[in-house]
Amino acid sequence: MQTESTVEDLKSTHVVENGYPAANGGVKLEDSSVIEDSPAQLNGNGMAEANLEPEQDQEQEHKGQVLPKQPDLKVLQHRISGYVGFANLPKQWHRKSIRRGFSLNLLCVGQAALGKSTLINTLFNKELYDLTTPATEDLAALKLEDASQGLSDGTESIQQEQQDHAISEGKSGVAAVKINTLSTKIEENGVSLTLNVIDAPGFGDAIDNTDAWKPIVREIDSRFDQYLDAENRLERSAIQDNRVHACLYFIEPTGHSLSALDLEFCKAVHHKCNLIPVIAKSDILTDEEIEIFKLTITSQLEKEGIELFEPPQYALDDKETAARSSELHAKMPFAIVGSTNVVSTADGRHVRGRSYPWGVIEVDNESHSDFVYLRDLLIKVYLMELREKTETVLYEKYRSEKLNFLNIKQDNSVFKEYDPELKQKEEKQLHEAKLAKLEAEMKAVFQQKVNEKEKKLQKSEAELFARHKEMKDKLTKQLKALEDKKHQLEMSLANQSANSPAQAKKKGFLR
Amino acid sequence: MSVENVVVGVSNLPNQRYKIVSNQGGIFTLMVCGESGLGKTTFINTLFQTTLKHADPQQRRNQPIKRTVEIDVLRAILEEKNFSLRVNVIDTPGFGDNVNNNKSWQTIVDFIDEQHDSYMRQEQQPFRDTKFDLRVHAVLYFIRPTGHGLKPLDIETMKRISTRANLIPVIAKSDTLTAKELQDFKLRIRQVVEAQEIRIFTPPLDESESPDPAVMEHARQLIESMPFAIIGSETKFDNGQGTMVPARKYPWGIVEVENDAHCDFRKLRSLLLRTNLLDLVLSTEELHYEAYRKLRLEGSGASEDQSLPARAPARKLSHNPQFKEEENALKKYFTDQVKAEEQRFRQWEQNIVNERIRLNSDLEEVQAKVKKMEEQVRSLQLKKH
Repeated sequence: MQTESTVEDLKSTHVVENGYPAANGGVKLEDSSVIEDSPAQLNGNGMAEANLEPEQDQEQEHKGQVLPKQPDLKVLQHRISGYVGFANLPKQWHRKSIRRGFSLNLLCVGQAALGKSTLINTLFNKELYDLTTPATEDLAALKLEDASQGLSDGTESIQQEQQDHAISEGKSGVAAVKINTLSTKIEENGVSLTLNVIDAPGFGDAIDNTDAWKPIVREIDSRFDQYLDAENRLERSAIQDNRVHACLYFIEPTGHSLSALDLEFCKAVHHKCNLIPVIAKSDILTDEEIEIFKLTITSQLEKEGIELFEPPQYALDDKETAARSSELHAKMPFAIVGSTNVVSTADGRHVRGRSYPWGVIEVDNESHSDFVYLRDLLIKVYLMELREKTETVLYEKYRSEKLNFLNIKQDNSVFKEYDPELKQKEEKQLHEAKLAKLEAEMKAVFQQKVNEKEKKLQKSEAELFARHKEMKDKLTKQLKALEDKKHQLEMSLANQSANSPAQAKKKGFLR
Repeated sequence: MSVENVVVGVSNLPNQRYKIVSNQGGIFTLMVCGESGLGKTTFINTLFQTTLKHADPQQRRNQPIKRTVEIDVLRAILEEKNFSLRVNVIDTPGFGDNVNNNKSWQTIVDFIDEQHDSYMRQEQQPFRDTKFDLRVHAVLYFIRPTGHGLKPLDIETMKRISTRANLIPVIAKSDTLTAKELQDFKLRIRQVVEAQEIRIFTPPLDESESPDPAVMEHARQLIESMPFAIIGSETKFDNGQGTMVPARKYPWGIVEVENDAHCDFRKLRSLLLRTNLLDLVLSTEELHYEAYRKLRLEGSGASEDQSLPARAPARKLSHNPQFKEEENALKKYFTDQVKAEEQRFRQWEQNIVNERIRLNSDLEEVQAKVKKMEEQVRSLQLKKH
């Protein structure tokens, strides 16, 4: 009976798991199979079981979340025509989110002089970086510094990597990549965003850029680790989210193709953060050149299996939103121009842009560069989606792998819908098992005690008899000996009296 | 060199949140708690304007009152204006219906704890894409409209609930009380609640730099009306102005559910759904759940290694009184057996003692014979000499 039910468990797990396709994206916990009535579901299950059985072994191999068999639960579905009011929940979130504020951790990676600082300043319309002193000057000084200093906070990684890292640092003329973080607060119409820009100066600037991406990967990992630690603490009311929500990768506008370093970096980080590649300083390329360059880059990335951040689309989206979302995706990698300088256009407008003798390139003009698309993706339209994806997909992936690596076992039995009847049954079983165990234990103890006592009593009984017998034997022997002696004496006395009457007389006297 | 008129897009972030929530939908678990016959089922149906639960008096009221408190879970996916909410209504039929209701809150308290426990265990797994969440976001405690005060059972139960979940006491079937009686009753309840230090859920008062006066005022009104006096009705009547409204009809007039002058139903609905649903959910997750988690993990030696998820201690055993009884019966059975055996052993021991006495006297007899014989021998020896 028991084995039967376990077999059934194994089979049906697949059915259930397949019933949660959306859940993997962390979006919705809806299970169509649960909603159905039980007879229909039994049928459905039976069919699905037959179809899925060949996949079973394969499924079981890669560990992960395999849901146990779920109880048959009735879920009512109802569309309300009147005004109940829970449809206000998004509005409540809207208000709450303003009060709680927003934050974004943005990683910027690219070689020096690709306009990273300028772009950040342009994107957030704030002088985050002082552009009057070129970053390159700093960088020259930086190379002379002890590289390990800048890397000290990225130590929580797998040992293997640390060794690699030590080796790479030992060589001279090797990239000394530093990690810098800059924080600022941006407010717009009462909404505030805490922006943390993580910058990796020195990346790709050395002669030998072997492993130049490692300090950056280590930084991303250590930020995940930090969050994981915080999540496991007892007290976690003040968890700070320092995880990297997006990574802007600056591609040199060569017009040729991605360098090996570009590809290595993208490969190393695309499963750890939302990768958004941008073609820097794209105003040196013509529209046609950009078109071709983009195509080359896209096919290179595709070939390497590198995934870029893709804006999600929802069933509820209107056509316009869906079209914009597709357009944004299609524009990647964004060819951008950054500038915080205000220049005058030919028709007398004052715009942010770059003025050339042959014309003015406007930053905030969609037809001049992809800057506006980038800003939409990064801030205006999809910032929260970047965070969501980091939280529900990228971080979860990192966490699962890390815990797996630490040999933490998955217990799938805890993922179960609550069912009072089932619960009662389980409790009853548990109780009965407990009772049976208790009974067995008590019985054993009881039996043992009884046996001990019985043995003890039997022993003392036996001892009593034995002692008695022994003593009685001894006494009987004694008695017998005395009887013999008496007999002897009597015999000898009888002889004596026959010989001497005096003696017989004496005997009579004593009596 | 910043340009003032450039829109960065930060002001759109709340809208992004709005959109994500709209698409994700929501989840709301509401527990109703109180003696039977206080209109819990009717209230739920009135609140969601849907017959979620069938009040089946035949089936329920004819059952002999013998059942212990149990749990009933109703699951529904409701859709309003394209927004879908997963609603779980937890009912505790039979709560307080017995003569001896000692510990009848245990089932309720156990359920709340158990849901926190279950969520905690799920959250600790390396792979946790799908989680089943039945953490109770709000507990509506139905108070019988006696007009006198709270019963000890009410106080004890509310005390225990309030440390674990958002407690919202309501005066059921409040149309049996006049306005004056209701006012006095509310006051008395508030006094008891305060004196007993029972924590009731209150909407947070906006403490940000720029508080919205309308929101503040609304929250204040809600707090002042507690405990809410409610009535429920699934039937609609003409309110006298040609509109059909949910109400109860008496010969002397109709009581409108959604009329603030008649009862606090609208205020309660606002607190539960329209304005503070999110506050209920967040305070459950951030306060009550966290408190439970901390309590359970503390002292279990879980925090030795910070990089590992803390392991939950063993599950608590249920408090089913029947189980306890059975266990006691078993123990008694053994105690009796032990007693019987002890009696037997005492008898046995007595027998041994008796036997020893008998044997001793037997030996003494022989010894006497020996003595006698010795004497005879000695005298014979004397004679011989």
